[in-house]
Parts: sequence; structure tokens; C-alpha cells
Amino acid sequence: MKAAPFCYHRPGTVAEAVETLAAFGDGAKVLAGGQSLVPLMALRLARAEHLVDLGRIAALRYVRGAADSVAVGAMTVQAAAGRDPVIAASVPLLARAIPFIGHFQVRNRGTVGGSCAHADPSAEIPAVAVTLDAELEASGRGRPRLIPAAKFFTSTFTTSLEPDEVLTALHFPVWPGRSGFAVREFARRRGDFAVAGAVCAVTLGQGERIERVAIGLLGLGAVPLRAAAAERAATGTAAGDLDVTEIGHLAVADTDPPDDVHATPGYRRRVGVAMAARALTAALEEAAHG
Amino acid sequence: METQVAQVAMTVNGTPRRATVEPRKTLADTLREDFGLTGTHLGCEHGVCGACTVLVDGAAIRACLMFAVQADGSEVVTVEGLAPAGGGLSAVQRAFREEHGLQCGFCTPGFVVSLTAYLRDHPMPSGAELRDALSGNLCRCTGYQGIIAAARRAAGGMEDQ
Amino acid sequence: MTVAGRYVGQSVRRQEDPRLLTGHGRYVDDIVVPGMLHAAFVRSSVPHGLLRGVDTEAARALPGVAAVLTAAELHPGLHPMWQTMMGQDAPAAPFRPLADADVRYVGDPIALVVVESRYIAEDAAELVVADIEPLPPVLDTSAALGDTASLVHPELGSNLAGELPAAGSPELDAAFASAALVATETFHQHRYACVPMETRGLVAQWDPAGEQLTVWAATQGPHEFRAICGRVLGLPEPRIRVIMGDVGGGFGQKMFPMREEIAVVAATRQLGRPVKWIEDRNENLLGGGHAREEQMTVSVAADDAGHFTGVRVEQLENVGAYPFPGNGSTAMAGSMIFPGPYRIPALSYAARAVYTTTCGRCAYRGPWMMETVAREQMVDLLARRLGMDPLELRRRNVITAEDLPFTTASGMVYETVSPAQTLEQAAELIGYDAFRREQAAERERGRLLGIGLALYIEPSQSFGPLGTDGATVRLEPDGRVALVMGTASHGQSLETTMAQVVAEHLGCDLGDITFVQGDTAYVPYGAGTGGSRSAVVAAGAARQAALALRERIVTLAAAVLEAAPSDLEVASSAVGVRGDPASALPFAKLAGLAYFGHAALPEGAPVALEVTERFKAPPFTFSNACHAATVEVDATTGQVSILRYVVSEDCGVMINPMVVEGQIAGGVLQGIGGVLYEHMVYDGDGNPLTTTFLDYLLPTAAEAPAIEYGHVETASRLPGGAKGMGEGGAIASPPALANAINDALAPLGIHLTRQPMSPAAIVAALTP
Repeated sequence: MKAAPFCYHRPGTVAEAVETLAAFGDGAKVLAGGQSLVPLMALRLARAEHLVDLGRIAALRYVRGAADSVAVGAMTVQAAAGRDPVIAASVPLLARAIPFIGHFQVRNRGTVGGSCAHADPSAEIPAVAVTLDAELEASGRGRPRLIPAAKFFTSTFTTSLEPDEVLTALHFPVWPGRSGFAVREFARRRGDFAVAGAVCAVTLGQGERIERVAIGLLGLGAVPLRAAAAERAATGTAAGDLDVTEIGHLAVADTDPPDDVHATPGYRRRVGVAMAARALTAALEEAAHG
Repeated sequence: METQVAQVAMTVNGTPRRATVEPRKTLADTLREDFGLTGTHLGCEHGVCGACTVLVDGAAIRACLMFAVQADGSEVVTVEGLAPAGGGLSAVQRAFREEHGLQCGFCTPGFVVSLTAYLRDHPMPSGAELRDALSGNLCRCTGYQGIIAAARRAAGGMEDQ
Repeated sequence: MTVAGRYVGQSVRRQEDPRLLTGHGRYVDDIVVPGMLHAAFVRSSVPHGLLRGVDTEAARALPGVAAVLTAAELHPGLHPMWQTMMGQDAPAAPFRPLADADVRYVGDPIALVVVESRYIAEDAAELVVADIEPLPPVLDTSAALGDTASLVHPELGSNLAGELPAAGSPELDAAFASAALVATETFHQHRYACVPMETRGLVAQWDPAGEQLTVWAATQGPHEFRAICGRVLGLPEPRIRVIMGDVGGGFGQKMFPMREEIAVVAATRQLGRPVKWIEDRNENLLGGGHAREEQMTVSVAADDAGHFTGVRVEQLENVGAYPFPGNGSTAMAGSMIFPGPYRIPALSYAARAVYTTTCGRCAYRGPWMMETVAREQMVDLLARRLGMDPLELRRRNVITAEDLPFTTASGMVYETVSPAQTLEQAAELIGYDAFRREQAAERERGRLLGIGLALYIEPSQSFGPLGTDGATVRLEPDGRVALVMGTASHGQSLETTMAQVVAEHLGCDLGDITFVQGDTAYVPYGAGTGGSRSAVVAAGAARQAALALRERIVTLAAAVLEAAPSDLEVASSAVGVRGDPASALPFAKLAGLAYFGHAALPEGAPVALEVTERFKAPPFTFSNACHAATVEVDATTGQVSILRYVVSEDCGVMINPMVVEGQIAGGVLQGIGGVLYEHMVYDGDGNPLTTTFLDYLLPTAAEAPAIEYGHVETASRLPGGAKGMGEGGAIASPPALANAINDALAPLGIHLTRQPMSPAAIVAALTP
């Protein structure tokens, strides 16, 4: 099980990476942490004539906090993001999602940006990005652009990045106020991709009413999903009056989950209901009691 | 740089090493074939079993999911580099022997390297945390009973009692 | 109970560990031979089809490629293949290392590329183009026996691989006719596999001048590997040297070389260059041998008190296309073992094994274990129909100490088993009655808790060619001891346990023994490590050889000391007159006299301080155990959580309790993996869907329950008192777990009879 041959490129800057990608077009692939791409290459399910390794672009490894958002460099390894104090304080949902990614050896190499660019609909970081309405920053030959997460993930393993674009950063908005965050997922084994999962952020306002809520679903479609109908139904409701199971049902109602050896679409939806309900319950609990 | 055959240099178990490799050659194969360090085992070559775990710049990683060119300039430690220089076994290795944490031994280097790194960063883990930390390595012989006991022993510093 | 000796009975830490822990083991992939080439297989991507042609031109043109061999190039000159255990005339699939006229499963090897590096070998394999005209796949075992079924092996004329006809009896008919209750159910077991962490592999080297073959192999039996090479290549066995170093697990998969290994050996002779083949994980899951896919229908006749009066069994096995060994059927063993721990007065056992266009079956830890899987689930089902607790039903039928010796309906004679004791010990350890109370209370709160038991009797297989093993014990000139054995330990800790046996009986220090195995040029013949044989047959040989050498050493010492041998004692590698420590002669001194100072020895004093003995064991030695599990089922996700897991076992005198428990644990987790996680899935067209570790799910430390042990130690009648126990963990854990899950689901009126019991499968049963 060995990868097919390729030419290896190790640019030192984003501009150099973009130039290399532009030069080789469809024959080139970007290598970030390699935790998803390299297995596919070993199985020869993926191949590249030219592999462009972003590993030495130090400028893509950072976490910068501002008042209302946190920027995470695309090549920040997941383990570093998972123990970063700024992320823990300002984007707790991301910090809590990271331990669900594979195993610690994988998180030591896998990157925040690589996970998004790979666009596995069962992956955690894309789900967090979609749920928090993060913006993804891409650099190509033109001006850098910001892509809303909802428009970044277009299908399974497919994004709106252009072939010569490099994902450089993720910008996560900070949720102020009395907010709570939770991740719940169900996988066959510890560390496996989720059969179904939910990530949830909620803010409580006066009278313990839900002022703002975001529910993201993973493993239930071709891309990480937002449960818009469920969010609408929950918003404005007093936390104590909320039927979380009903919200869970609303969350999965319009989904079209994949079918594979581990789970049928119906099974994924059933588990999705429970995960959404459990995530919402836990997030509400945190918002109410800190 | 762009290349189809690359020179790589890295420090392995404290010794500077060099090799000429195809870019597609994994770090695991390079350690085994070019540097003669066959303690790093290949159980799946797609990043699941963990038998090939080594330390790169201190971090436990899957050596089958890293090309040797990516490790150029790094500090690598393999299972051969864990025992004290004068011989004998490391604390984690001793715990594995005491608790019958290995049978056929094929997965063992990956467990030993992983646990060594994990306990360095988490000296007082709970039982659940230990099981979670061990879940990135597969073993088919032990039912994990001896491995979990060995991890507890090593975590508790019990190995010298 | 037997009092532990100085070494036997002690949890001695393992001799093999230091090298394995420090990365200094020597596995087959670590072997490098000058001039060595690397092999890769081109495999069929079609389950069944006619092979119209194989275009190897592009592959041959790739720089670094030494050869591309198809059946046309590889097969000429090869002789028939058969396994010693099965015999030359046993029913078996046709033998052909590579596909020739047709392909018979996805993964069927079509060509062998032999190249300078494994990387380029995989490039070359991609360039080989096979032109395959698809034929209908053969997947369903029942349909495969129909008149219109496509034939997996057209030359055999039928898909029926083997058949064991029912042997009824008037007693059995009478039992059913007069039964108070007859219960019938069909249990299904799904396809799962051995999956050792080290895949298969070998390095083969042909010396054309000396016409000698050397093979370094990942094997459980170097002599069987040699025998098969000898048969296929037409070589005398002494011209073949098979060497095993450390081997990374086998579980049955490495008992017999399969088609790929034989192809590589044939290729090395043809090319005259050393060839290495290391199976990758994809190949291992695709074509390394599968197991367990079968169904069994059990009818039990019982009287109104729940006593079994007769049982009828029908088994249907899916043995794939190219099973190893023989035809892959386990029915003969199953029919002998089925009555297990119960008094079953009359039995009939019928079986059919069926070829399909899937990967062939190989041996897997307790290959016949469907008998326990079905029997133990049937006991629980019958208990439910009788409204009786399954523990009580087992108590009414289990063989007790008073029943011994006991001859089963299948003719097995038990003399030293203790199923009733292990049943009670397991029930006590898991707190059976307290759990029933907790379960009732928690059911009120909506929790689904369950408890399951499974009893079994495990045979050490030492029948026929498996019945003997050899050991050489040699006192070396420095007084240290070489122990040279025909074993093939690959995780079973024999390097330690066999040394314990020798140290105990020879009277030397354990640290003085060096263990050698796994080189057919030097070690006594051995039938391989598997079949739970080692504690019986190999330990018997080690003990016998140690005692014989001890006698020689004592005779020598008696001559030197001018004392009667009966006045001497041996301890800590020295011989002296009993009660006179000053007289003690260290082994080193005696060895020096025998090897170098023999001129001074009295006439007749022995100087040959090396003994080889073969131990001949009875065909079966029986151990037994009871597994008990408690579980909780999450009704929403279908997830099963194992709360507790208890094993009470009796393997007679334990040579090393730590090793015994390690063997139990490994087996138990394989069974848990089988029921809850592992499933080798084929789609409806015959394509395998689970050929990576992302899809074929082995349990991890996070899924493993803590296993608790109880021991009953009833010595066997063998010298040493041991019984084999290597397979039992994997035999009883599936039904124990299935019974616990069904007990948890009982309030919902659900009883699952199919594995795997994955979360999705449980939810499907909950939501009809």
C-alpha cells in the first residue's frame, strides 16, 4: 500500500504555494497535515502529479484573538488549537470539538485548515465553522477573499476553493453574553468518524429565553448542515419550555444522510435527533449555569 | 524546492542521519529501510493501527502518514530510542513487561511510543483518559487488559515499587 | 489443586519481552537478503468471471520490473498441494496459486509482479490489465446449492464443498416424540476474520546450484510450511529450510501457507532470485482468509423440568472460493464438540459446506465454535420459552463432578472437566442474583440491562498429525541450557512457559535457559502452534526431555561423587548429596567434565548431555469455562455497553497464570469484536466493502471491558496436569454477549438470532 509517485514542492510562502498550484493546475494537490490525504494516496484512491506541502509556511500557524472574533491560521495543528487558551476562552465550541477528531496522534499532525479543505461531512471542524458562521480566508492569484462557511462546503470532499487557491485562515466569531456550547456525537468506536453528531451554541436572554441558537449537524448530509428550522423554533422560547427532542426531530427533518456499511439514512437521522437534543440540552445547561 | 528524488536529513534517536528518497517514501519506510530501525512496524499503512507511531519533534505521530521529505530537518525518536542508553527498559517498557501488556509484540512499539508521549504531557490521567489515549493503537492479542494495566502502572510511577 | 512449583504455576515475567519492547524483535518484514526483489499481486476486481486475457506488456516495460508472472508462466511444473492435517485425499478446492481460466472472488490473484522495490511493484501491478468477462456471482449459500446456480469451481461439478449427513437414532426420534417441549431456532453468524496486526509475508530464496530453498516466513508452523513447499515444488523436505522469527499474531490465518505464499515460493525458484512479499492490510482484509459465516438450526427436545432429551443440529457453512485448509468445513469438529458441557442423551448433527465467490475461509481461533455460539443461545431461548432463568436451566443440564467420567452423545469422554463448578463460580463472581434484582429495579426506570452466560468445553487438538511434539534439551559446556523446540510461538509466550517447565523438571535456574524455535534445519519436528495444543503437547515434550536430561546429569554426578543416584538431589543448576550442600556439583562443572574432562570420568559415566524427546498426547484433552457478561443497551442509538465481564475457567494446572489470563483476554475481545464491531461485508454483487481499517472495525482499548477471572484447577490426567486453553476466549464470548443483549431486550419482546449486533442492527430490531 504505497502512494503513486509525485513531484514534491515545499513553498516557504503562500504566494509561492499559489504560484506552484497555478503552474500545475489539476495535476497539483495541497498537502496540509496529510492525515486524510496520505491514507487516500496510500490506497491509490487519490493521486497527484505535484504535491504542494504547506508544512513549512510558518506564517500559517497562529491563533489571534480580537474583541469579536478569533483568527486561526490554516496550518495550526489541531492539537495546538485544542490547547490554545484564546480558543478555549473565546471559541469554546471549537475547543470542545477537537478532542473528537481521530486520536491524539492524528491531531498532532492534522490541521484546522486541512480538515476544512478536505470537507468530510462527518468532520468536526467544518461543522463548527458552519454552526458559528465562521469565514474562511483564501488566497489565490487575485486578492485574498473571505468565504462564509455556509458557502465554502459545496459537497462531499468538495469546497468552493479555486484550484489555485490556498485556504489560509479561519475567522470564528465570538459569542458574547450568557452562552453555552456543546458537542455530541455518536461513533462506532472512540475516534471514528461520527455516524451522526450535533454541535450547538446558544445564548440566553431575559427571562431565560433563547436569544440566539445555532445547531450544526455532522454525518447527516453531503456537507455539514445547519438546522435552520430547529433554530427558528427554539429562538425566543423559554429554555424551561423547550422540548429538546422535538427540536431534534426538526433538526433532522429535511436531511438526506448517506448510506454505508455502518448506518442507514434512517438510523443516522434517529441518532441525529438524539445528538441534537443532547447537545442543545448541554449547551442550555452551560448558558444557564456557566 | 521541487524534486523527484530528495535528500533528507534528520536526527534520529540523537544521531544525525541522511538518506536519498523518493518524495513518496513514507517516514516509516525510511526509518526501516534507510536507517535500519525496524522497530517501527507497519500494520495498516493507512493511519489507523498506530503500530508505526514515532515522535517527531516530540509529538507522537503516525509515521505511515508522513513522507520522509516532510520530516526533513526534524528530530525523530523511535522505539529504539526510548530505553536508557546503558541498556535496560524505560519506565513504560518496564510497566508493559510487568503487566503482560504484550503478546506477539507487533503493535507494541506503537503503544510504547504513544504512551511515553502521552504520559509526558499528562502525568496524572484518569482511567477513562488513559483508555481514550490508548484508543489510537490497535492490538489483537491482549484484549488491552495488560496494556491498560501497564499504562496505569506507568502513570502511577508504580514501576519501581 | 496442585501446589505451585518453583517455576510452574508462577506468573513469571516473559523472556521475549525485552527485545519486543525495545524494537529489537525480528519479524519477517525486517529480513533483508542481498539481491532481494519485492512482489505484489494483481488481483481480480470482479467476483466471478472468465479471464479472457492478461496484458502485462506495460508492466514489464516499467524500469525495475524483473518479472510479471501469470498462471501460464508460474504453474507449469508445480505439483498438487495438500495439508498434512487434512490428508492427501480430503475434499478441497482446486489448487492453483494464480487464477488461470477464470476468477472466483474479488481479490483472486491473477498475476505476480516481481520488482526492485515494493513501491515500483505497486506501480507495475496497476499497469497489468486483466480482461474479465463477468459471470453471475455465487453469494447465497442456499441458492448456491440450487440447480441453476453458477458454479464457483466448474471442475467440481457442484458448489457443495462438503457434507456431513444426519445420523439419527431411534433414541433421538423417541426423545422428540415424547418431549414436553421442542424448541427450534436458526442462528446466524456473520463473516469476520483473524486480522493479526502483522499481515502475512515471507522472503524466499532459491539456491539453484545446491537446489535448496530457504524461506523466512510469518507462520504458525514452519514444518507444515516446509511440507507444503516440498509437495508443490517436488523437493525433498530436508532441502527446504523454513525459518520463523518473531511473528505478529496469527489466530489460525498463518497455520497453512495459502495461494500467495506458494506463488512467491514458486516464483523465487523460477527466477533464481530472492523474493519478498509482505501482504498489505488491504490484501489481508480482501484475501487473507475470512471466517465464521455460517448458520445453524438447533432443535432441542426437553422434558417438563427442562432436561434436554435430544438435539438435532443442521449447519450451513459459507467457505468462500478457496478455503484453507481442505474444504474449510468445521463440521466434523463441531459435531464432536456440540454436546459441550451438558448431558444431551441423543444427538444428530448434519452439515453442508458451500463454495461461494467470496474470499475463502481460513482457520480462526476455535474454527468450529458455531456449536457453542448456537448451543448457548439456544439454551437461553429455551429458558425463555420455559419461563425459567437461564442459570437454572444450565444447572439442570450441566455435567457435574458426580457424572464423571462422562461420555457424550458424540463419543467424547470427559474425565477431568468442571463445567458445573465454573458455572457457579462465574455466577458468584458476577453477582448473578444481585444483578437480577438491580435489573428488575432499573427496568422500572426504563433502562435495558441484561446478563448472559455461556459454557463450553474446549478440546486441545492433538489428534492425528497434531499428536506429538519434540523438544531437545542440551546442557551446554558452560552449564547453561539450550531448549530447542518444534513450537512456533507467536504471542503465546512459549519462550517463557516452556522454559518454566524445563527449569522446574531439570532443576536449573530459569535464567540459565535459552529457548530456540522456528528453524526447520535445527529444531525437532513440530505440528505448529495452534489448536490449543502447546500446554499439552509441547509442554509434555519439554517436561519429558528435561526429566531425561536430569537423569543423565544425575547419573554423571553419581559417578563423579561415587554416590547412589537415589541419594542425589538437583536444585539451582547443581547436583549434590541430599543433606550435604558442600557436595553440590554445579551444572557447569559437570558439563566441563562431560565435554572436556571425560578422560577422568569413570567407565560408563554419560557424556551425552543432550536429549531429544517426543511426547505423544491423547487425541483430546478438555478444558472448560463459563463466561458471564452484563450489558446495558441504549434504546435510542442501539449501542451496547458492557458493564462487567467474568470468565471462570479450568485449564488444569496453569504453567503461568499471567499468560493464561492474557490468552483469555485476547480471545474474549476478539469475540466482542465479532459481535459488536467487526463485519466483513459483501454487497449484493459480491464486492467486498470493508477492506480497510476505516471500515473493518477492530475494538480498541476504549471499547474493551475490564475482564475479571476465576480459576478452577482440575488437573488433567497428563503428566503435568495441564489442558489447552488458547481458543476458548473467542469461542464463548460471542454467545455470552448475545445472551446478555437478548436478556436486556427481553422486556421489548425481541430476541436477536443474527450477528453482528451492531447499533444499527439493534435499532432495526427495535423499530420494525
